[in-house]
Amino acid sequence: MRIKATTFNRVLLGVLLAIALLIPLLIRTNQYNLVLVTTVLLFGVLATAWNIIGGMAGQLDLAAFAYLGLGAFTSGTLLIRWNVSPWIGMILGGLVATGFAVLVGFPLFRFRVREVWYALTSSALVEVLKVAFVMWEDVGGPVERYLPYYSFSLYHMRFGTYIPYYYIMLAILVIAIVVNYRIGRSKLGFYLRALGEDEDAAEILGVDARACKLKALMIYAFIVGATGAVYACMYGFIHPSFFSGARSTEVAILGIVGGMGITYGPLLAAVILVSAREFLRASLGGQMESLYLVIYSVVLILIALFRPQGIAVFFRDAYRKLLSKVTGDEHVLRANTPGI
Amino acid sequence: MDTVIQSLLNGALMGCVYALITLGLSLIFGVMNVVNFAHGDFVMLAMYFTFFIGSMWGVDAVFTPAVTFPLLFLVGVVAYYLIIDGTLRQKYVTQIAVTVGLMTFLRALTQLMWKAQPRALPYSLIQGSIHIAGYNIMLSRLISAGVSILAIGGVSLFLSRTWPGRAIRAASDDLDAASLMGVNYRWTYALAFGLGSALTAIAGGLLMTFQQVDPTMGVRFGLLSWCVLALAGLGSIPGLLISGVIVGAAEALSMSLWDPRARSLIVYLIFILVLWVRPRGLFGRK
Repeated sequence: MRIKATTFNRVLLGVLLAIALLIPLLIRTNQYNLVLVTTVLLFGVLATAWNIIGGMAGQLDLAAFAYLGLGAFTSGTLLIRWNVSPWIGMILGGLVATGFAVLVGFPLFRFRVREVWYALTSSALVEVLKVAFVMWEDVGGPVERYLPYYSFSLYHMRFGTYIPYYYIMLAILVIAIVVNYRIGRSKLGFYLRALGEDEDAAEILGVDARACKLKALMIYAFIVGATGAVYACMYGFIHPSFFSGARSTEVAILGIVGGMGITYGPLLAAVILVSAREFLRASLGGQMESLYLVIYSVVLILIALFRPQGIAVFFRDAYRKLLSKVTGDEHVLRANTPGI
Repeated sequence: MDTVIQSLLNGALMGCVYALITLGLSLIFGVMNVVNFAHGDFVMLAMYFTFFIGSMWGVDAVFTPAVTFPLLFLVGVVAYYLIIDGTLRQKYVTQIAVTVGLMTFLRALTQLMWKAQPRALPYSLIQGSIHIAGYNIMLSRLISAGVSILAIGGVSLFLSRTWPGRAIRAASDDLDAASLMGVNYRWTYALAFGLGSALTAIAGGLLMTFQQVDPTMGVRFGLLSWCVLALAGLGSIPGLLISGVIVGAAEALSMSLWDPRARSLIVYLIFILVLWVRPRGLFGRK
């Protein structure tokens, strides 16, 4: 019996989604493990969103947690001060992050700040925001601001267990992947990939590089900003340390070693690397703290050196072989679908 | 007014050390176009080596570069051959991924060996302060600035007068032409990377005379040195010194006039503004 490639893809996606839905039910008694899987999802969301600006448009953005922090502070402050639901805060947080992205991105792209300098500027932005929020005592300040506690309140997005946060994060992840996939196949996606390859060549061919990059940055900032609202609720407080340069860089690294511009690459990297790191931390942390980071960084270097195309390429080739065996269709081996 | 001049003096002296750190970065970035995100962590590593040698042998921090300079040169050369060499033909993104990995590695390794708490050496030989026209100048900072300027001058002579130095400059101008003239590019690159890293040993020794070290230090010096480099542009060594002084002075001014926490804010704002307004820097050639 021959199976169509699309049917096989759909069945596989369904199985993966079912596994993702079932995970919290299997480990529901252990809150620590729940935090871990939710963290993996969080990095999956961030890296997937990063794929739009970093992977497709080739702009090495190192400011993920700047946008995340802005979203968290917007929604958290609204909830603490005026009892506004984080569900609304999510949208507003996303909009604030997007506004900030425009404010920063417009002059950056206008003055043609590129490559390394773009990466360094965005990295500096995270630090600027961190200091600014420590000094802005009305909203931030050096002390944590706690969100009101509820054992289970949908309106306040506050739960006594991590299971709902897992599902919210999973929903955002699915949305981020769909957005990524749709953009990858749209005109904008082709423009972005073109200017990611060679910006000058793309501009000569009539791509409005500035507008396209700004659009990509806005979409990325909105997704990350909205995620920030969930992040604040999950941890139960807001603090300027949310603006973390190290974690922002990690998001970009996941995007790079996952496979630039491949929709599921960053997610794959997040699932494999973040779980491996947390596993190492849990099993080695007792005797030697930070030994896990030594191993983790060596693995990162090795992947970047020997698989510069990303681990997704490796998985894609294996998957295509499997697909051609199942469907008996040689064509899938050479298929060249953008973003997949 | 007195506070302004006092902090300008302090900042300017500190800026000379920043210029020395940035000279290492500019050698690496200018010559082989490698984006080294780990440079700040080399400074941190140098400070830990200084602490280690200083406390083990009871040597004063000022003299430790005699050991740490060759040590960091070696670390730099090994890092070049092990990881940087393989990424020269890759996109800059891969280089950043690799050097970020190196950065995480150095940070985690120092944490593993010396734990996370800050470390400092006992009082250095050079301490106390001198008074000139009512202003107070810390001797340790004055000597640090002097040694930094001497070291920068030394590197400048090395680059202009010796054959390996000229090879480095030739390779940074035109790699293909230099190769045809008999410059071995891998050897030159390894030398530049080693020298760039080794310069942090001098800076680390000087910094340890009046400062402590902890594993998060790398981030600060990393972004700081990129800021000085952006302000100076590539190719001008006096420009580097002036930019270092500007950044140091701005940092000190913001600390004394506004808020001690605002020091990094000002530095990064200068950085971002320079990139917007004058991307090739104040003294840059390209």
